[in-house]
Amino acid sequence: MEISFFILALILSFAIFFLPKRLQYGFGLFLHSIVIVATSILAVDALISGTSTDPPLLANILGNPVFLVIDELSAFFILVINFTMFTGALYAGGYLKLYLAKKNKTEMGLHFFSFLWFHISMLLVCMVRDGLAFLIVWEVMSLSSMLLVIFDHNNPKTLNAGINYLVQMHISVTFLAIGFIWVYSQTGSLSFDAFQDYFGANSNIWLFLIFFTGFGIKAGFVPLHTWLPHAHPAAPSHVSGVMSGVIVKLGIYGIFRIISFLKADFLLLGEIVISISVLTGVYGILNAAVHRDFKQMLAYCTIENIGIIGIGIGLGLMGIGNGSPVLYYLGFGGALLHVLNHSLFKSLLFYSAGSVYQQTHTRDMDHLGGLIRRMPKTAVLFLIGALAIGGLPPFNGFVSEFVLYSGLLEGLKSTDISQISLLVFTLAGLSIIGGISVLTFTKTFGTIFLGTERRPLHHKPVEVSAIMLVPQYLIVAVMLSVAFFPQFYLNTIGNVLSGMGNNFALYRVSEYSDYSKSIANINLYSLLFMAIIALSWFARSLVLRNKSNKIQPTWGCAYIAPNNRMQYTGKSFSKSLSKMFSFILIEEKKYKELKAGEIFPENRKHGSHYHDFIETRFINIITHRLVYASNYFKFIQNGRVQSYVWYGIVFMLTIFMLTIFNTLK
Amino acid sequence: MLSLILIIVAAAFFTGVILRVKSIASGRKGPGIFQPLKDVARLFKKGVVYSETTSFIFQIAPTIYFSSVVMAMLVVPFGQSKGFVSFNGDFIFFAYVLGLGKFFSIISAMDTGSSFEGMGASREALYSMFAEPAFFILMGSIALLTGFTSFQEMFAAFHIGSYISYALAILGTFVLMMVAMVENSRMPIDDPKTHLELTMVHEVMILDNSGFDLGLILTAGYLKFAIYGALVVNMFIGMFPYQYSIPMFFVIQLVLATGVGLIESFMARFRMSHNAQFIFVLTSVSLLIFFGVLLILGKFA
Repeated sequence: MEISFFILALILSFAIFFLPKRLQYGFGLFLHSIVIVATSILAVDALISGTSTDPPLLANILGNPVFLVIDELSAFFILVINFTMFTGALYAGGYLKLYLAKKNKTEMGLHFFSFLWFHISMLLVCMVRDGLAFLIVWEVMSLSSMLLVIFDHNNPKTLNAGINYLVQMHISVTFLAIGFIWVYSQTGSLSFDAFQDYFGANSNIWLFLIFFTGFGIKAGFVPLHTWLPHAHPAAPSHVSGVMSGVIVKLGIYGIFRIISFLKADFLLLGEIVISISVLTGVYGILNAAVHRDFKQMLAYCTIENIGIIGIGIGLGLMGIGNGSPVLYYLGFGGALLHVLNHSLFKSLLFYSAGSVYQQTHTRDMDHLGGLIRRMPKTAVLFLIGALAIGGLPPFNGFVSEFVLYSGLLEGLKSTDISQISLLVFTLAGLSIIGGISVLTFTKTFGTIFLGTERRPLHHKPVEVSAIMLVPQYLIVAVMLSVAFFPQFYLNTIGNVLSGMGNNFALYRVSEYSDYSKSIANINLYSLLFMAIIALSWFARSLVLRNKSNKIQPTWGCAYIAPNNRMQYTGKSFSKSLSKMFSFILIEEKKYKELKAGEIFPENRKHGSHYHDFIETRFINIITHRLVYASNYFKFIQNGRVQSYVWYGIVFMLTIFMLTIFNTLK
Repeated sequence: MLSLILIIVAAAFFTGVILRVKSIASGRKGPGIFQPLKDVARLFKKGVVYSETTSFIFQIAPTIYFSSVVMAMLVVPFGQSKGFVSFNGDFIFFAYVLGLGKFFSIISAMDTGSSFEGMGASREALYSMFAEPAFFILMGSIALLTGFTSFQEMFAAFHIGSYISYALAILGTFVLMMVAMVENSRMPIDDPKTHLELTMVHEVMILDNSGFDLGLILTAGYLKFAIYGALVVNMFIGMFPYQYSIPMFFVIQLVLATGVGLIESFMARFRMSHNAQFIFVLTSVSLLIFFGVLLILGKFA
């Protein structure tokens, strides 16, 4: 029943192109709602009563029936996707208003169409259980998101980012395809169930690593992350919000899915995943700290959070390896909870950053300042997101980080010295990540919203419309519910985990209730903390009631002509950090030295920006070599139709000859 | 609960003792031990001056900063008596609550739009970031040694088994005191009595705070010292009965305060660029503690 509505929405989606421009958005939102309601009902059903026994048939691909299976793991991700897409679709209504005049009907139609298909394909990725169908919907997801990224296609930088994204996503697909074909060649089946047999009979490590690479590109594990910092800033904000909120999480979904079939080598894989994740986290947040483009900063911050999620995944794997159900629940549970949390606060941050961009038309935080007076609501929303993403109590980020910390401490009970050392370093790594993220977000919030404006803006920013604020309020509400009712979410995640894979069926939620009690009490301590704040504030206002409060200029340290440009900028705020880590954070400065004989210097400009270490030092070198090598084959693609016809004839002749000599079977 | 009272009492004299030691060391008569309290009391009676560039952030930040320190204080235990709040992993909560306070004090400095205050904010964010791993490795090592994860249980079980743990406690004292110095912006990281805004860290962040708000910030600073002092005390007292542990508490706090005073009298502040190296040293010391724990547990076998 729900499935037929879902399929109806798929068919109706093509109608978007034929509607007039002003109706397209409303129709798209309507279809989104149908999809959301239909799949959410199925997902909630799966969470409550388990996987349904007769899954509905979607289609036949090359004789392979494709069933839509929703188990607890898919259900969890489906709900996360649906909520984020819902807020994203709402926010788009306000955000795209400015573009309506500039873009024509087809462009807008294509955007809404891809947004819808992006949503649908992500849901399908969670639902199909067949290698071929999985690759197809995975590809649809990549293509539709690429179309979304290049919405602002008049800007060559955006197109570049789009192409970069497209290429990297296809490298990801290649790895996934290799993985599926490998399993197919061993077991003769493309269905996911074949993994059970494969992992039961063969070494687990290499196939897992191939899938980890494929999914890791999507998720953004270092060093496979280089598409993120380009694609996220280029995309319109509602798209970056959902991309960062959920599309990278589908990489995580894939990893979880593969893990549920693993049979052996858990310890080694766990150690590999945890090491990569700590690197990812530290690398991501270090880069986030120095960038001035606030959307790029958020993109790097996504990489950091993927690292945090990865730490949880590694812990969970080690938990299985050590036969410790508590560690299994804390690790995977922390990872899944952080998936949910990150999808919430990252989309909130991208939406509020998008509101700033819409009002100021700049992504360089050092051109802004003092926006808290012009856009107070956006400022508060951004502040909440920033506090939550830093993992600070009393917000939801703290809950998931606390679960992960508990997992790390639980892991210390292991007897193996290499594991213990790894976990202590992870503990230090996670705390460094927390520390730098405080630096990053104080810098970003302080520079964009506080102080006074650093440059005059052409158009005076005003608070954005309600349609852009409402989805953000919704997100904050859900965030607070995670922060103050973590029991509910942890129980749901416990359900997901005990249903994940047959080999863990013996681990039940009750084993982890000891910890879940202390974790669930976190909300009480947060409430106590809020109460202390409220009490101090009350005391303060009581004392200050009859006092005279004066407003005076900021103390300028006795300098009498300060101006707005003298404020501390974001760049200078993170300068000492970047100097310290200059071996990773590559700064490029652009300026002209003063020459010896230059007595009256002319006007000068000084520019500086940071490069991604891995991209410039490794990936770019490899691609340059590749381009250089492929130059030798340029003669093949020479632009002459005659040659192309000739290639065709040679190809057909070869096939013909091969058939004659019976070498093709 | 006991720890709460003890910390508040210790906070009342800690900063005063530092000042007194400094004045004696420099041959001055100096103010009385309770002068800092009198200063705060005077500030609490005053009205507030706000900068015209600031927003509500600037007004709520001191309150949140103060509350975060109070909340952190509630977590700290005393020997066999638990803190007001005690649960598995409470030291993580401790560090993160203080982190929230720091977040607000940093953005409140950014709120004034002053170039100097931004500079202080940036340094504070950087240095406290470096202090974090040292604290976590220290606590992780103790958790590894004792098998517990809450402050009270960890400290209570610290010295059961081996006396080598007292050597670790001394290293731990070094780490905790240096973390306290970083958190409180004292020598050798930061000189609270410097006269030039360019070289300040914490002082420059609160240039624009006045009256009640400044009083809150100062009180929070006094409490923070006593909190870290109490953690140090906890590293030694284990399960001693109260008639020994309470006097020990005050003696250790006094020794620490005197030590801080002497360091501030006879040492110059580090160059800003050397601070980071110094804090790295801190992390290495806590790694030493970690290896010590591994030795005690016989993991190298």
